[in-house]
Amino acid sequence: MSTEAPATLAAWLRTRSDEQLSALLAARPDVARPAPSDVVALASRLAVPVSVDRALDELDAATLQVLDVVLLAPTDGMAPDELITALPQVPDEVLTEALDALTTRALLWGDDVLHAPDPVRRAVRHPAGLGRRAVDLRLQLPADLPAALAELTPEERQVLERLAGERPVGHLPDAPGNGTGSPARRLLQRGLLARIDALNVELPREIGLLLRGDLPYGPPRRRPEPAVGVRDPQVVDRQAAGAALESVGRIGELLALLEEEPAGLLRSGGVGVRDQKRLAKALKVSEPDAAWLLELAFAAGLLDVGGPHRDEWLPTRAYDIWREQDLADRWAVLAAGWLDGVRLPSLVGVRDVAGKSANPLSPDLVRHTAPSIRRSALGVLAELPAGAGLPAEELTALLRWRTPRRADRLAPVPAMLAEAARLGVLVSGALSTGGRGLLATGEDGAADGMRGLLPEPVDHVLAQPDLSLIAPGPLVAELADTLSVVADVESSGGATVFRVSEASVRRALDVGWSASDLHDFLAKASRTPVPQALDYLVDDVARQHGRLRVGSIESYVRSDDHGLLSQVLGDRRTAPAELRRLAPGVLVSGLGADEVLTVLREAGYAPAGENPGGAVLTRPPARPRAAGRRTGTEHAPTARPLTGDERAAVVREVRAGDAALAARRGEAVRQVPGVTTASTLELLSKAVREGIPVWLGYVDAQGSGSQRVVQPVSLVGGFLQGYDERRGENRTFAVHRITSVALVEEDGAPGSGMLPG
Amino acid sequence: MNDGPLIVQSDKTLLLEVDHPLARECRAAIAPFAELERSPEHVHTYRVTPLALWNARAAGHDAEQVVDALVRYSRYPVPHALLVDVADTMDRFGRLTLANNPVHGLVLTSTDRAVLEEVVRSKKVAPMLGARIDADTVVVHPSERGRLKQALLKVGWPAEDLAGYVDGQAHPIFLDQAGWQLRDYQQEAVEGFWAGGSGVVVLPCGAGKTLVGAAAMAEAKATTLILVTNTVSGRQWKRELIARTTLTEDEIGEYSGERKEIRPVTIATYQVITTRRKGEYRHLDLFDAQDWGLIVYDEVHLLPAPIFRLTADLQSRRRLGLTATLVREDGREDDVFSLIGPKRYDAPWKDIEAQGYIAPAECIEVRVALDDEERMTYAVAEPEERYRIAATAHSKLPVIRRVLERHPEEQKLVIGAYLDQLEELGTALDAPVIQGSTTNREREKLFDAFRAGEIKTLVVSKVANFSIDLPEAAVAVQVSGTFGSRQEEAQRLGRVLRPKADGRQAHFYTVVSRDTLDSEYAAHRQRFLAEQGYAYTIVDADDLAGPGEVNGPDWVDEPAD
Repeated sequence: MSTEAPATLAAWLRTRSDEQLSALLAARPDVARPAPSDVVALASRLAVPVSVDRALDELDAATLQVLDVVLLAPTDGMAPDELITALPQVPDEVLTEALDALTTRALLWGDDVLHAPDPVRRAVRHPAGLGRRAVDLRLQLPADLPAALAELTPEERQVLERLAGERPVGHLPDAPGNGTGSPARRLLQRGLLARIDALNVELPREIGLLLRGDLPYGPPRRRPEPAVGVRDPQVVDRQAAGAALESVGRIGELLALLEEEPAGLLRSGGVGVRDQKRLAKALKVSEPDAAWLLELAFAAGLLDVGGPHRDEWLPTRAYDIWREQDLADRWAVLAAGWLDGVRLPSLVGVRDVAGKSANPLSPDLVRHTAPSIRRSALGVLAELPAGAGLPAEELTALLRWRTPRRADRLAPVPAMLAEAARLGVLVSGALSTGGRGLLATGEDGAADGMRGLLPEPVDHVLAQPDLSLIAPGPLVAELADTLSVVADVESSGGATVFRVSEASVRRALDVGWSASDLHDFLAKASRTPVPQALDYLVDDVARQHGRLRVGSIESYVRSDDHGLLSQVLGDRRTAPAELRRLAPGVLVSGLGADEVLTVLREAGYAPAGENPGGAVLTRPPARPRAAGRRTGTEHAPTARPLTGDERAAVVREVRAGDAALAARRGEAVRQVPGVTTASTLELLSKAVREGIPVWLGYVDAQGSGSQRVVQPVSLVGGFLQGYDERRGENRTFAVHRITSVALVEEDGAPGSGMLPG
Repeated sequence: MNDGPLIVQSDKTLLLEVDHPLARECRAAIAPFAELERSPEHVHTYRVTPLALWNARAAGHDAEQVVDALVRYSRYPVPHALLVDVADTMDRFGRLTLANNPVHGLVLTSTDRAVLEEVVRSKKVAPMLGARIDADTVVVHPSERGRLKQALLKVGWPAEDLAGYVDGQAHPIFLDQAGWQLRDYQQEAVEGFWAGGSGVVVLPCGAGKTLVGAAAMAEAKATTLILVTNTVSGRQWKRELIARTTLTEDEIGEYSGERKEIRPVTIATYQVITTRRKGEYRHLDLFDAQDWGLIVYDEVHLLPAPIFRLTADLQSRRRLGLTATLVREDGREDDVFSLIGPKRYDAPWKDIEAQGYIAPAECIEVRVALDDEERMTYAVAEPEERYRIAATAHSKLPVIRRVLERHPEEQKLVIGAYLDQLEELGTALDAPVIQGSTTNREREKLFDAFRAGEIKTLVVSKVANFSIDLPEAAVAVQVSGTFGSRQEEAQRLGRVLRPKADGRQAHFYTVVSRDTLDSEYAAHRQRFLAEQGYAYTIVDADDLAGPGEVNGPDWVDEPAD
């Protein structure tokens, strides 16, 4: 390895150790997919503006300030020592850390002299919050700048000082009517500000530096050290469990309601205000709360659009599985759904610019950045010890410092934290154990963290003389189902209070229960003796039940001419229609109207079909379900972090490619253009025969090209088998994917032929 | 997981499992801030309302205690949001205080400027306020003290009234505790009231509310105005005051339709005060006739709306409300809170019953099958007539007679709502009837005879629902009622709950026609009884056993003579 300083980024990358390259890939995983073939490819990937922006976005304010210093240096290249003098107030370890972060990410490169790659320069628009140089703004500054500034009125100076702060660009206020112009306009006239478009002006760097005096890079951007409130982790967990219990209970109730009566799908998507109101009323919660529950159920994949015409919001099939799970798992599904949901439930009811307020589940609420914001906010809290928490505003300030370039995305953070608190992920700013588990290992971790804190489902109720049935805890699904038929829910929460009423008993009888079934059920379900009043109620209602009879038929035949009907009934030819008389003037059949019509027509009658207007359709026997999505497929747009092994593999790949590149250069392979596949084969078989390593240009099945040096073993059926020493693996290469080939002479002498494929 | 007796519900109701070993302790902890809503056999329901929380706050409890009680006794984790909400609500009380300023008179002061700004800007509140003295203080027109408190409660910032009371004209009143003694809970109730200045004492019927009133008067030692529901009740107050205090007959005046006496202690009926002639209240002078030191409101839950308006002007007088329940069927609990005052004391029925101060009661519903003719009449009747037809069915008569025969030696009341039915019963049972048109003299005569045991059975209309004292009524038979009113049920039950000399059980029968509206209404009323913890039994009329028979009453006295 040469002792000279590398001249380019690629050259510098080549000098980095495997660990350092691996760290680079870990910090910028986007450049590793698909694996770059060699350092040159890697360097060009690193220069992609999107990648640079993404890398910069993840840097904290202190690190960005260090970068600013390098970017503002008059010439490219700056010794690390100079940084210390440039930022005297910044502690050395912060500087070292920042430099390390920047070089690890290849946002700065060089060991003795730091260079900033051009794409990075372009990506940082206003380094240190300073404008461009006057030359670049095509501005002629006064010769004696300090004197010119001294002449300014206080208002004008105030404008300049504001622009010398965080942002050198400002809006030009609307021209006032009196003609003298605003301070900003006067400054424009004096040539102290540059106009960059119709609305905005920019402060030239020189003036900014002058105004900043001895802190040209602005005040040191230290990490905020918010006061951390510490609470007993057990108390936090218990309260979180309270919230969890509440959320799971409410979602269950909501979906049970939607099962009974689905909410309509608006044409614009989402749930209408009327349904929202209905649900809020039935759940005894406020309308915004109902919206939140709808959003949560959707995020967890328990609610989706379905129904015969795909115009209803229905519980999904996942709901059937969910309700059978234990409480901790149910909670975990909700929490995980929320964490990775791409919607912002807090925007429900917020009016857009047109004054239209957003409906729950409206497609307008999708924000793809939401999951990463949630994770970064909660991630800050996860770094604190158990029980320690931050108030929302402190957390936001910290996030702003951590990712200043994403500060504009932080607006939903307070609402997200409030949601986390409702779910039980957070309790007054501190993560619960379940919340930690959720962040660390997703659904399973969340469930594990919450398990043991949530009550076990109970399988009994307490029947009371006032006809209430009290379930002293969450009910097992089966009993809950039955009870929802036999009784009405009066209050829910930790326990459920059911009320048996005449109407509810009648409902049970309607779905086929008998009085003795009910007595048996109550006796079995109740841990207390069934009160006499309850038995009497059941008997009273049962006695009255069934005096009116209802049956179902497929079709009817009616006529005002009773004689004609008798004739039809007596006609042997109409026997296939299976008609019977229900009442004078009405015949009914178990067959469909079409069939009856056909039979009657064939028998020579002239029947007409009748519109079923007013006929009550029975619901299909199966409970309606939306198909639903598979949870976790749609969301999570954030890149999955690379594992250590994956990174090692990529580094190996790059190194191998690099070595191949070097081999190709150093060993002067002769290139023979226009050679056919036949000669490629000839060359390869020679290599196999003589055991000479070959240099291969190869395009893999994914279409990415690479160069490698292979020790060939066999050439059979269009496939070359060989050992790739640098990658340390045996590989099979399809001959038709080989783009070029050359023999590599061990002793450095030129090989035989180079054949582009 | 904690194994407490309490389950906290999302709607802020609290379920208390009574059989739990910690139940008593828990009840004591939550009683200050939660209203007992239902107390059936196994699980009692309490409700945490803003008013209840403010009552607790007024009684000196803080949010921390409330939250602690909820968390400590709760079986399941309590949602943090609920606790925060409780703390926030409690925190609203006392941000504003009404106080007397030596220079400016009555002022509204605040510890929180934002709150003061909010209420000063409120359209409803602003007209009652005068000049702003400083950032935290604003003058209140003294005449608006009551209305201001009402309005502040409506905007969610209830004010604590520390402006004090006028002493009123002193008048010596002492309890005359010869041969009797104020019970512990009565003593606590008086102390609670006196310490708070004004407010409401909640005690079950028959628990001796009159004595709490008397004791409060003895504490105030000032001229007192007592507002009662009707004349009979007023006379009873008078009798009780003469017996239990040093007051003599001459010192107590009756201000009613019949007499208009104003004495150091004056008992007035709601009716006479709210009588209007030509759209004007004629008897408002009463309130200014004396420099009253104490105003007692009997049966606060029945307080008519005009009295609220008048009470708003009396905020500088001490006010004591007495009631069996804070629940008003018109939902004006908040006016009771702001105008009479916060709850100062309450005790659940069952606890007082357990202490032996009110008689235990057995509630029995007797079901009568209508005969065919009655069933047909019922079936074809107009909807508005149906209840009357079912309730007054003749088939009930033999059953009522049989019920009365079960208790030959008891003092019995037959209570109904329909006058012709009552007349008929009176004749059939050979018992005197008391109804609206019965003169007060006649009533008192009959009541005295009943008390003395000369009359065993009385048939009474709903005039007897309130505030008459029939100490030895041990059996009540309800034959018809007012559309299932819960309040009526409670009052009627109260008739038999006064402690019996020998601690016997009281019996409360309801005779209903089966499969009619009557039984539907009965079910509604009984739910109330069950919620109050009275287990009731349903018996078919045919199964109703007489004394001494199987399933008959537990004890049978030797027949008289």
